[in-house]
Amino acid sequence: MTETILFFRHNRLALVGALILAALLLLAFVGPFVSPYTPTKLDILHKLEGPSAAHWLGTDSFGRDILTRIMYGGRATLAIGLGVVGLAFVIGVFFGTLAGYVGGWTDTVIMRIVDAILSFPALVLAIALAAAFGPSLQNAMLAVAITLAPQFARVARGQALAISVKPYVEAAVSLGLSSRRILLRYIFANGIGPLLVQSTLALGSAILQTASLGFLGLGAQPPLSEWGADVALNLQYARSAIWVVLAPGGAILLAVLSFNLIGDSLADWFNPRRRTQIN
Amino acid sequence: MTVWKQFATLGLMVPLLAGAIDAQAQDQSKTLVVAVPSDPVALEPGTNKAEPIGSEIILNVFDTLVAWTAPDFTKVEGRLADTWTVSADGKEFDFKLRPGVKFHDGTDFDAAAVKFSLERTKKSNSYVQATFGLISDIAVVSPTEVKISLAQPYPAFLSILAQPQAAIVSPAAVQKFGDSFAKNPVGTGPFVFKSAQADTNVILDANPSYFRGAPKLSRIVYRVIPDASTRRLELENGGVDVVQQQGQLSAIAAEDIASLKKNKDVQVLEASSQIIRQLEFNNSKKDGPFADVRVRKAIASAIDYDGLLAGVFGGTAERVYGPLTTNSWAFDPKVKELAPKYDPDLAKKLLQEAGVDPTSLSIKLYSFQGPLWGAVATFVQANLADIGINATIEQTEFPAYRTLQTAGQFDVALDGRQPWYNDPDAHITIGYLSSLANTAMTFRMPEDKDLDALILKAQQTADMETRKKLYFTVQEEIMKRVPGAYLFSPKLIVYARSNVKGLVINSAPPLNEYWSVSKG
Amino acid sequence: MLNFLLRRLIGLIPVLSIVLVIAFSLVRLIPGDPAVTLLGPGATSEQIAALRAQLHLDRPVFLQFTDYLVGLAHGDLGLSLKSGEPVLREILARLPATIELSVLAVLVAILVGIPLGVLSAVKANTLFDHTLRVVSLMGVSMPAFLLALVLQLIFATHLGWLPVSGRLDAYLTVEPITGFIILDSLIAGNPAAALSGLAHLVLPVTVLALFLAATLARFVRNTMLEVMGEDFIRTATAKGLHRHQVVLKHGLLNSLMPALTVIGLKFAEMLGGAILTETVFSWPGIGRYMFEAIKNRDYPVIQGTTLVFALLFVTTSIIVDLLYGVLDPRIRRRMD
Repeated sequence: MTETILFFRHNRLALVGALILAALLLLAFVGPFVSPYTPTKLDILHKLEGPSAAHWLGTDSFGRDILTRIMYGGRATLAIGLGVVGLAFVIGVFFGTLAGYVGGWTDTVIMRIVDAILSFPALVLAIALAAAFGPSLQNAMLAVAITLAPQFARVARGQALAISVKPYVEAAVSLGLSSRRILLRYIFANGIGPLLVQSTLALGSAILQTASLGFLGLGAQPPLSEWGADVALNLQYARSAIWVVLAPGGAILLAVLSFNLIGDSLADWFNPRRRTQIN
Repeated sequence: MTVWKQFATLGLMVPLLAGAIDAQAQDQSKTLVVAVPSDPVALEPGTNKAEPIGSEIILNVFDTLVAWTAPDFTKVEGRLADTWTVSADGKEFDFKLRPGVKFHDGTDFDAAAVKFSLERTKKSNSYVQATFGLISDIAVVSPTEVKISLAQPYPAFLSILAQPQAAIVSPAAVQKFGDSFAKNPVGTGPFVFKSAQADTNVILDANPSYFRGAPKLSRIVYRVIPDASTRRLELENGGVDVVQQQGQLSAIAAEDIASLKKNKDVQVLEASSQIIRQLEFNNSKKDGPFADVRVRKAIASAIDYDGLLAGVFGGTAERVYGPLTTNSWAFDPKVKELAPKYDPDLAKKLLQEAGVDPTSLSIKLYSFQGPLWGAVATFVQANLADIGINATIEQTEFPAYRTLQTAGQFDVALDGRQPWYNDPDAHITIGYLSSLANTAMTFRMPEDKDLDALILKAQQTADMETRKKLYFTVQEEIMKRVPGAYLFSPKLIVYARSNVKGLVINSAPPLNEYWSVSKG
Repeated sequence: MLNFLLRRLIGLIPVLSIVLVIAFSLVRLIPGDPAVTLLGPGATSEQIAALRAQLHLDRPVFLQFTDYLVGLAHGDLGLSLKSGEPVLREILARLPATIELSVLAVLVAILVGIPLGVLSAVKANTLFDHTLRVVSLMGVSMPAFLLALVLQLIFATHLGWLPVSGRLDAYLTVEPITGFIILDSLIAGNPAAALSGLAHLVLPVTVLALFLAATLARFVRNTMLEVMGEDFIRTATAKGLHRHQVVLKHGLLNSLMPALTVIGLKFAEMLGGAILTETVFSWPGIGRYMFEAIKNRDYPVIQGTTLVFALLFVTTSIIVDLLYGVLDPRIRRRMD
C-alpha cells in the first residue's frame, strides 16, 4: 500500500492516468444507472443533434444518446481490454514459463512458434483470425489475445530463465520441491513486476486492436455499443456531425492513454537502474 | 545518373510549374473523374458477371444491339441494331444492323461479329447460362442481317440483349489478344480503353469516330477509392466529378445526401429503381416457429415501414409492397391492400394465436455488412423488440453470407435483389421458383407445383396482356404465403459535381453511360 | 559477416515454415466458399461443383497444401480467384506503394523521434520533457483511423492544402516503371507529377509515422538518460569534454542501438497499421489488397500477402541485425 502511494507520488503522470481511468470506470459502471436513456432505444426524430442540455454529447444517426452509448460501450470496451489481456497473459505466461523452465526442445519449438506469430503484423493476424472464426466480439477478442500472447511468452520466458539460476530457486530444487511449486512460488512471484508492466501496456494495445477490428466490421455487432464499432458506424456522418465520431474516438484515446501513462511509469518504477536515480 | 539530372531539371522547372498547371486546367474540363470502390473485375462480355464497375466500363467501351431508352426506360431502342422484328411465336428475332460501324481496331462491325460475340458469351460466361442457354441458333443472313432463334419463347430476351454480357466484341481483337482480351478490350463504343493500374485507376479515351457522334469528353478516369467517407470528401473537394451508383451493398447515408444537396458544388441525381430489399424467411424450413404462416405474418406486421423510410433513408428510398416494385409494368395494384401494415398489436395477437411466446423466440437476424445494412438491421431489431422478440444482429461478409443462405442455415435474413433487366422475370423466376431454392438470392420457396407452373407460364407467354394478368396472379399467390417482409426500394443515386452536364441515370441495368456527358 | 548472414537465413526456415502453415490453415478456416462468390447469384450446385473442381478446391486439404508448396518452390503463388491474375504479379504491382509509404514513414519517424528524444533527455524533467512525454504517449494511444479522418478533415477539406486521398492527381498520368511514384515522375521528367505525388504522401506518411515517432522519442529519452548515468560518460565529462559533445557522441550513439531494435520490432506493427491507412487514403498497397482479399475469400491472395508481410518483417529484422554490426564493432567481431 505504501509502495503504491510512493509510486504515485513519484509519478504524477501515472496519477493522471489513474484519474482518467477512474473517471472512465465511473462513467462506465455508474453512469448507466444515472442516465435517463437506454443505449439501443431508437429516437429517429432526434437524430444527429449536436450537444445540448438534454444530450450532453449529442445524438447519433438513430437519435440514441451518445453519452449513454459511451457509458455502455465503455463497459464493453474496458471489459474487452481486461478479457483480452487476461487471456493473452494466461496463454503467454504458461507457454513462456514452460519454455524457460524446461528448456531444450520444448523451448525451441515454443519460441519458434512465438517468432512466427510475431512476424505477422498483429492487425493482419487478428483480421485473418477474426475472419476465420466469424465476426463477433468474442472471436475478435480471442484473435487479439492470440496476437498479444507472444509478448507475454517472451517476458515470462526471460524471467523464468533469469530466476531459475538464482540461488534460492536452486536451493528449492535441491530441497526437492515439485516443479509446479517452484514455478508458482518463485518464478511467477518474482517475475510479476515486468509482467505487470507488460499487462498495462498490452491493455492499451488490446483496446486499440479490438477497436480497429470493430472499425473494420469484424468486432462487436450492432446494436451492441463498443467504441471502435461506434466510430465505424458513425464515420460517414463525420462531415455533418463531427461529434458522433470524436466522442467514441476520444474515449478510445483516453482509455488507451490512461493505461499507457500508468504502464510507462510502472516500467520506470520496475527498472532497477532508473529507480536508484529517482531515489 | 539520369535521376540526378532529372533532379537538376526539377529545380530549373519549378518556375515553369505555374504554366504547367495552367496547361492541365484546360485538359481538366474535358476529363471526367469517376469514383469507384474497387478495380473492375472482368472488362469484357465473355467473363462479366454483372460486377457493377466492369459492367459500366463495358457499356462505355462496347455497344449492345439494343438498349433501354432514357429517361424513363420503358422502351427499347436500337444501338448496333437499326430495326428488328419478332416472330409470332416469340422464338425468332430478326435484326437489321447499322452499316458502316467500325471497331476501335479499325475492323468492320457486321453480322458475323454479332454471331461471334453472342456465341462466345454463351460458351464462356456461366453467369448468363440460364438466359443465353435459350439461344438455339444464330444465323448470319447477310453482313447486315442476323437471325437469332430461341429454343422456347422468352419475351424478356431483348432485355437480355441490352445487358453488358451481350455487348459486341471485335473478333479480330479477341483472336489477337486471346486470354488477355479483358486487359485489352476492343469494341465499337464511345470510349476506347487506354490503361488500367491495379487499385489505382482505369483510363478511357474518347473514340472520335463513334457512330453516334464523338463524345464531348476527351477522357474518363475511373479512380479507385474503397472508403465511402473518403469518396465523399473527394467529391466535395473536387477530386472526383462523379460518384458512381453503388450497386447492392454499399452505403449511401441519408444524412450525407441531405448535406450534399445543400452543397452548391454538388448535384444529387436520383431515380426510382426496381431494387427490392426484404426481410426474408427460410421458407424451405419445415420446423421452427417460422414454418407457421401466422408467425411470419406477425413479423411482417411488426415492422414500421414508413418509419424506416423516414428515419433511416430520409426520402432516398421508396415503399415496396410485394414481390414487384410499384414502377414495374406488371405491378398488381391489389398487392398494396394485401401487404401487411405496421400493427404491433396485431403482431402480438397473431403470435398468441400461433401459440408462440415472443420472449421465447431468440432469433439471429442475418444482414450484410456496412453501415446502411447495419442501420436497417438495427431498426428492424428495435421493431421486433417492441413485440417482445429478442433478435441479435449478425452482420456477415458477403461470401460467408451467401454460403449460409444457399445452405439454408438461417431463420430470418435481410436480403435483396437488384434486377438488371426491365422485366418481372428478373424478380419472380429466380426469387420464387422452388426448383431454384438452393441457389443464391432466392426466397428458398418450398416445393409447390402450382406456383412453379404459374411462374413458368408467366415467364414464357408471348402476349404481353396475358403475361401481365398471369403475373398479377403470381403476385397474389406469393403474398398469401408471406415469404418475407418487403422493406423498401432504394432510389438510384449518383453524386456529381454541379458542372457535370448531360448525365442520365440508367436503372436497368443500373450503369451510367458517359457518351452525352460534358463538364461545363 | 557473410557467415552470420547465412546462419541468420537458415534460422529463418523454421519460422517461415510455421508462417506458411498458419497462413494456409487460417485461410481454409474462413467460412464462405470462393466458388459461390465467383459465380454470383443464380449459380446451380452443378456449376459450383464444377468450379470447385477447376480450382482444385475439392482436393483434400493436405494435397492442396503440397500443391501450394510445389508452386511456391517455382515462385508461383497461384492465381487470384477474383481477377485470375498471378498473385505474385499482383503483389509486385502493389508492393512499391506500400514500401514507399512505410519506408518514408520510418525515415520521418527517425528524423522526428530521435532528435525529440535527445532533446527530452537533455532537458530531462523540464516542462519540455513532460510535454513531450504526454504528447508521445498520446501519439501511441491514438487510433489510426481517427487520426486519418481528423487530418483529412483539417488539411484537405477545411484548409484545402493537401489532397484527400490517392497517390497522384487524377488528371496526371505517370508511366509506372519502378512503381515509386516520385521516382517515376522524375524519370519521366514530369515535375508536376512529382510534386503531386509528394503532396499525396504527406497525410498517410504522417499517420503511419506518428506511432513510431512517439515510441522512438520516448525510448531514446529513456536509454539516453540511462547511458548518461553510466561511468564512462561521467568520466568523459570529468575529462572536460563539452557537455554537448558528450551527449551527442556517447549518449546518442549508445542509445541508437536499442532504438534500432525498437524500429525493427515496431515495423511489423506499422505494416499492420498500413491496412487502415491504405484503405482510408485509397493507397494502392498490399495492406488494402489483403483486406479486400479477405472480404472476397481470395485464398491464394491471402496466403501470398501474409507471406509477403512476414517476409518484409523478417527482412527488416535482418537489416537491423546487420546495422547492429555496422554500428557496434564488438558485435561485428562476434558475427565473423
